[in-house]
Amino acid sequence: MKQLIYSLILIVIGALVGIYLPWYAMGVAFGLIAFVLNMPVKSSFLTGFLAGFILWVMAALWLDLQHPSTLPGRMAQVFPLKGNVFALFAVTGVLGGLFSGIWTWAGARLRQK
Amino acid sequence: MKIIKSAFPLAIALFLTYAMNQSWGTIPPIGKIFSPFHGFWMNAESPDSGEPTEETLQIAGLHQPVQVVYDEMGVPHVFAQDDHDLYLAQGYLTAKDRLWQMEFQTHFAGGRISEIVGEKGIASDQFQRRMGSVYGAEKSFEGMKEDPAAKTALEAYSDGVNAYIASLSDRQLPLEYKLLNYRPEPWTPIKSALFLKNMSFVLASGTDDLKMTNILRKYGREVAEDLFPNYPFQESPIIPVGSPVDFKPVPIPAGPADFTGLGSSMSTPEKDPNIGSNNWAVAGNKTVSGLPILANDPHLTLSLPSIWYQMQLVAPGVNVYGSTMPGTPNVIIGFNKNVAWGVTNVGSDVLDWYQVKFKDASKKEYWHDGKWKKTTMRIETFKIKGKKDMVDTIFFTHHGPVVYLSHEKPFRSNIPVGHALRWIAHEKSQELTTFYQLNRAKNYADYAKALTYYSAPAQNFVFASNEGDIALWVNGKFPLKSKLQGKYLLDGTDAAADWQGFIPQAHNPHVKNPVRGFVSSANQFSVDPSYPYYLGWQYAPSERGRRINERLAVMEKITMDSLRGLQNDNFNIRARELLPLLFDQVKSPTAAQSKALAALKSWNLVNSPESVEATIFENWVLTLQECLWSDEFSADEKVPMSRPSMDRTIQLIKSEPTARWWDDTKTPAKESMSDIVMKSLQANVDTLLKQHGPQGPEWAWYKHKQTGVRHLIPGMDALSRLNIPIGGGGTIVNASTTKTGPSWRLVVELSKEGKPRAYGVYPGGQSGNPGSSHYDDLIDTWAKGELKPLLYLTSPEEKSNRLRKKITLSK
Repeated sequence: MKQLIYSLILIVIGALVGIYLPWYAMGVAFGLIAFVLNMPVKSSFLTGFLAGFILWVMAALWLDLQHPSTLPGRMAQVFPLKGNVFALFAVTGVLGGLFSGIWTWAGARLRQK
Repeated sequence: MKIIKSAFPLAIALFLTYAMNQSWGTIPPIGKIFSPFHGFWMNAESPDSGEPTEETLQIAGLHQPVQVVYDEMGVPHVFAQDDHDLYLAQGYLTAKDRLWQMEFQTHFAGGRISEIVGEKGIASDQFQRRMGSVYGAEKSFEGMKEDPAAKTALEAYSDGVNAYIASLSDRQLPLEYKLLNYRPEPWTPIKSALFLKNMSFVLASGTDDLKMTNILRKYGREVAEDLFPNYPFQESPIIPVGSPVDFKPVPIPAGPADFTGLGSSMSTPEKDPNIGSNNWAVAGNKTVSGLPILANDPHLTLSLPSIWYQMQLVAPGVNVYGSTMPGTPNVIIGFNKNVAWGVTNVGSDVLDWYQVKFKDASKKEYWHDGKWKKTTMRIETFKIKGKKDMVDTIFFTHHGPVVYLSHEKPFRSNIPVGHALRWIAHEKSQELTTFYQLNRAKNYADYAKALTYYSAPAQNFVFASNEGDIALWVNGKFPLKSKLQGKYLLDGTDAAADWQGFIPQAHNPHVKNPVRGFVSSANQFSVDPSYPYYLGWQYAPSERGRRINERLAVMEKITMDSLRGLQNDNFNIRARELLPLLFDQVKSPTAAQSKALAALKSWNLVNSPESVEATIFENWVLTLQECLWSDEFSADEKVPMSRPSMDRTIQLIKSEPTARWWDDTKTPAKESMSDIVMKSLQANVDTLLKQHGPQGPEWAWYKHKQTGVRHLIPGMDALSRLNIPIGGGGTIVNASTTKTGPSWRLVVELSKEGKPRAYGVYPGGQSGNPGSSHYDDLIDTWAKGELKPLLYLTSPEEKSNRLRKKITLSK
């Protein structure tokens, strides 16, 4: 339960950081939050992964609904996904998740001497 | 130890961040580009809702507010209070839709692609600069600035582009910047000059001099001149035969002594030669409305983002609509209240090679006119992504740059090594003034005056006015040459081989209101041999021109729609001439060959998209040329040669059935004409069977030809449109080939009241953003052979249900 609340906090902060700062600032922010909140190391990666995954998929989905276009279909060919837009969302989520998970884990681990 | 253990994950996180923020070869920075807050997801644009919207944008440097209304195609109609604001807005709005393309094309022109793609761009970059692209742009920029109006336009345009660049944050960058991971640099006026000079590269850099010299060396002058004649067997020149000459020619230079150069070896293949264009204007006595109608379709390499960008530009003294070229101010092909104009390329010989004799390895001096003369050097620096800078020295004789030294490997097979390049694209010039004045022209006199400023690439400027005039000038700066000077490589030590000035502009071939009631051009010979000056020995094949002229001669009660029909004409005039000759030579065909022949015998000679016969015929032309000429003219890759033209081939079939060329020298047997025709039929049918299976719908012409509109990044199929169902072909009026075709089609009917009506389309769309519905929304209309009505407004308040977005640009 606590992990879900952590994830929720990360999503909100991640969205704000994403809108105003360079893309990688989200990772640094997640590391900091994990450090400050003293997140348990064991579940930290999953907490971060979940937050990053959900945030990037939801943001991409929101943009796609706001601006329906052929672009996702094209990008799913630029990246070798055979034009599968679902796969493009999945890749977006996994990349956001991995990136967030590792930073969250790094922040939590740094606190645990 | 503990600290290291604690910090270890941090190291991984930092490394991951670095890795995801970097390009790896052609793989874009995976984190940055997938982040929905920064990457490609941000580039999606909603399709047009149909609802009118209004917004105001602040732009520094404007004198007065500028009103812009967009129509449903995404064409901006710009209303400014003075020239400065007009061109500033043109720069800003063009960049808004096409920034990446503008910058990429000028990077290409300036030999700077390796700054974006790294080492693999170097050979192309070096070739561009050695050909003198930057040198030519600098000289032409000097000329442009001499006209204050052109200078204002160039500088304001540049300010407009920069205002847009300054407004962009990283996350708003066009998609291609994100894919290739770089940022736009500031625009400068010289980039417009680079862009215009690059048109000479696209249209006037064809050169067969090396290949012709190789032929001269192998077969001698008599054979070379016989197989590569200086006027075609069949032709319908642009200036009608017998047109009055209204000037007294200047004396023709004596010309150089006969010279057989060294020839040289080759490397990579050349560009697609299928670049050409059609244009015509018909007089009022042939039209339903009683006023002239003008049509134009320039054929270029089809690409996305589109080559052209439509705009209407309105300010005191000008109200012009047409297609612009992103990167340069003014409308290039279009119309205003009173006149319309269009262009096609002139294939005259404006590029020559001079074999250079250096004194020694330092290359500081070369032999010319009986003395040693000093070369000049130009240092070019190449910034290469991910590598150290490369410095290159280019040696110039008074002719021009020595493009490749004798030991170097040329970028293209037709470029000789150890030769200096004399090229019209290196002249100081004022093309911008021509377009500036054409945009404002009111009548024939204005048009004729505008053309006097134009140098290169030479164009057939077709013209029509609402006073009822039609005209065509074959226009550009043409070197004054002796007959055939520059057909072969020239002797760089012989002063008589130099260009001896230029043909006076007023003597350029031209025709006004001819009795036949129309003017036209399709890149064929400008003039018949009675014209007093030598312009070139080789132009585009005559088929398109002959077909257009035979149609226009018989067409009466012409409307815009009947001319649209002519632009899409798929009739195969070459098949009409060649097929009966080939049928006569057929003996004992196989079953598969008989089937193909039966189809051809009942063919309506139209290269329609579904036509199986068109595929059989067009492929047969290729195999016939291969079987007939490859033994003598492409035997050795290291000695590239031209092949005799199809025109000469048809003449050979008709009148020289026993010529030595029919024998295949690679076989011991002696082949007859009939043997070669059968051999080519066999090769033809065998390749088609192998490629497409048994003869049937899979042999459809469009499936075989595969016309595509490709993104400017090579291999970027996801952003391209491939396999477009369109007919036509290289020698067909509808000149759609695999990679080239009509890049813009325009039909304009003038009006006495100053309300011209016009239709147009190009294979692409107004937006350069692959995430916009306007990226490629005109391609289907184009492929079907339809045109869109063009909206010509007289004020920004004018009502139309086609208007969408309204933007006010304010200071």
